[in-house]
Amino acid sequence: MKNELKVVWEVTKWEFNRFFKWMDLIKGVLFFSLFGLIGGVIGYWLASDTFTAPDIAVANYGSFDPSLFEHNELQFIDHAATHPDSLNQQLTEGKISGILTIYSLDDASIRVPSERAWVIILEQFLNELRRDVKISESGIDPEWISSLQAGIGLSREFEKGGESTTADKIVAGIAIFLVLMAVFMGFAYQFTAITAEKQQRITEQVISAIRPQAWIDGKILGITGIGMIYILFYGALGIAGTLILMQFGIPVGSALAQINPIFLITFILIVLLGTLMWNSFYAAIAATIDDPNTSQKTGWMTMPIYPVMLAFFVLINPDSIPITILGIIPFTSYAVLPARMVMTYVAWWEPLLAILLLMITVHLFRIAAARIFSTAIMMVGKEPTFKEMFYWFRRV
Amino acid sequence: MLSFFNVTKQYSKVTAVDRLSFSIQKGEIFALLGPNGAGKTTSVRMIMQIIEPDSGEIRFDTAMVAGKSVDRRRLGYLPEERGLYQETPIIKTLVYLAALRGKDAVWSRKQAISWLERFGLKERMNDKVSALSKGNQQKVQFISSILHEPDFVVLDEPFSGFDPINQEFISDCIRELRDSGMTILLSAHQMQLVERIADRILLINDGRELVSGTLEAIRQKTISGQKIVVKYNGDVNHEQLDETPGISGYKMIDEAEWEIYLGEGFVLNGILNGLALAGKITDLKTAETTLHEIFIQSFKNGRNNNEK
Repeated sequence: MKNELKVVWEVTKWEFNRFFKWMDLIKGVLFFSLFGLIGGVIGYWLASDTFTAPDIAVANYGSFDPSLFEHNELQFIDHAATHPDSLNQQLTEGKISGILTIYSLDDASIRVPSERAWVIILEQFLNELRRDVKISESGIDPEWISSLQAGIGLSREFEKGGESTTADKIVAGIAIFLVLMAVFMGFAYQFTAITAEKQQRITEQVISAIRPQAWIDGKILGITGIGMIYILFYGALGIAGTLILMQFGIPVGSALAQINPIFLITFILIVLLGTLMWNSFYAAIAATIDDPNTSQKTGWMTMPIYPVMLAFFVLINPDSIPITILGIIPFTSYAVLPARMVMTYVAWWEPLLAILLLMITVHLFRIAAARIFSTAIMMVGKEPTFKEMFYWFRRV
Repeated sequence: MLSFFNVTKQYSKVTAVDRLSFSIQKGEIFALLGPNGAGKTTSVRMIMQIIEPDSGEIRFDTAMVAGKSVDRRRLGYLPEERGLYQETPIIKTLVYLAALRGKDAVWSRKQAISWLERFGLKERMNDKVSALSKGNQQKVQFISSILHEPDFVVLDEPFSGFDPINQEFISDCIRELRDSGMTILLSAHQMQLVERIADRILLINDGRELVSGTLEAIRQKTISGQKIVVKYNGDVNHEQLDETPGISGYKMIDEAEWEIYLGEGFVLNGILNGLALAGKITDLKTAETTLHEIFIQSFKNGRNNNEK
């Protein structure tokens, strides 16, 4: 037993180190940070350009009162007396940002060198001016109009938990994303690891040295370890980013408040077990693939994406009966339950039951994977049929 | 060390190994020979616990057994289908494969460096396996099979992919390992090398034994152990050779030189007259049959027996 565990540990370390490189992780973060920074600078520059109050030459006010042309984001300059040719000249030379000509309450034009973001603000401003003039002309009380436009003040009271805020949805979305990342990282590495070993003819030597169960356990643990490191790394990075944003006065603290220790432990446990389960599944399928370029079984590897897709329905109604059930059954709980825990009140027994069922499933999957793996890994030039795979699976 | 008793393994329509029995003694080089598809690889895979026999028994010395099965840490294996982790440094690969056989990393590293030095690869120990030539990868693979100092090692085609100089070097290494107490099961097609290093030989075909024993014993059993090399001056009447009692077969080496095989139970005197009638003899000498000839002759005999 001690020797078996030692072998599993050796394989775990090997598989982990085979694919996990700290430098790659750091380079990835630096790469995305650099692009984020470039995007931020460009965005800031564009935004500052947008909100620099443009100098709008008003050539004609139409039936509007010139004294009303005041706006904190737009600079109106009276050019009613200026000759159109001169205004066009100034526009060409960049001395003014645009020429506004109002013909009537319903008709106006703006002349600009090309499309400008502030034109939308100008249009809103003119619409408001027009509405005020129209209301004034009709003699209707402006307060009555405001009252008409106001909606009913419907407050929400919940039997279980509180209202789902945008922060809740962001945290739930991030949780689903992290789960997706861990599972698909497992897919990529497990697939590469096993099909490459088959193609590089390493299998026979290793399988003569250790039992298939030890090999598969080590592989599952090593590759799951990589997924967990990525989740913890990016999770920590997200928390650090949130804390930095809070320092700049950006109101993201409510998102951070969702991450309490119980949620964190349950989330890590469920994701760990879910990733272990799917990595067992991947190992079994990958072992049956002879040539990844032509195998029909490659499509099976996308199966774990479906529970994650279901998890997004939690954002719509976290308390529906189907979603509650999906949060407990092993094939979907790893994605659905963490999202539910963020979005709504979850009874204490639900995570416990989900974890217990996942543990049983992981155990059965790893044994089934080893059975399929031990037979299929030696098949070169031929893939087992589903009937054969089902037979091996039934032997569990 | 190992006894293989009445073992049968059947694949869907083919009986790969058919009631085969043999035993391997501790500290010997045992050669398992046979043509392609004879059942060598299946036998080896059953010994290495990769596949299970349908019937029969494979029994190791009690010292090799841990629990209900053989202790895999005490086995070494160089499979015919070679493969190593291509993108991993050589030294890491060797240490990992030894770790799977229960060896400590520090000890394995030291041993690996020593073996790599012997094979002229020490300077490249941190290179990726993919950077090595095919021959050098073969060397690394050979090292990986014996690095952990197994009690019993299976070397399936250990000479393939090597030039004659390295084949000699590998055969010296195998002998040295045997002398150090390791038991070796060897499967190879290089008959002249096997002939020189094997203590005992088993020839199989269609999953069954054709002949086994020491080379000398096999010679006695197959072609009576006698071969005569005759040089003629001028034409040779081979019909005369066919008609001479006691000649079981012959082969023309070139126009002047012929190899004549003596039939079982006959002596040289009995065929001398027939040889002289076939042509003008300029030289005549006896020679020992090679393993290659035994190999070919055994399969001819086996086929004839099957046809009968």
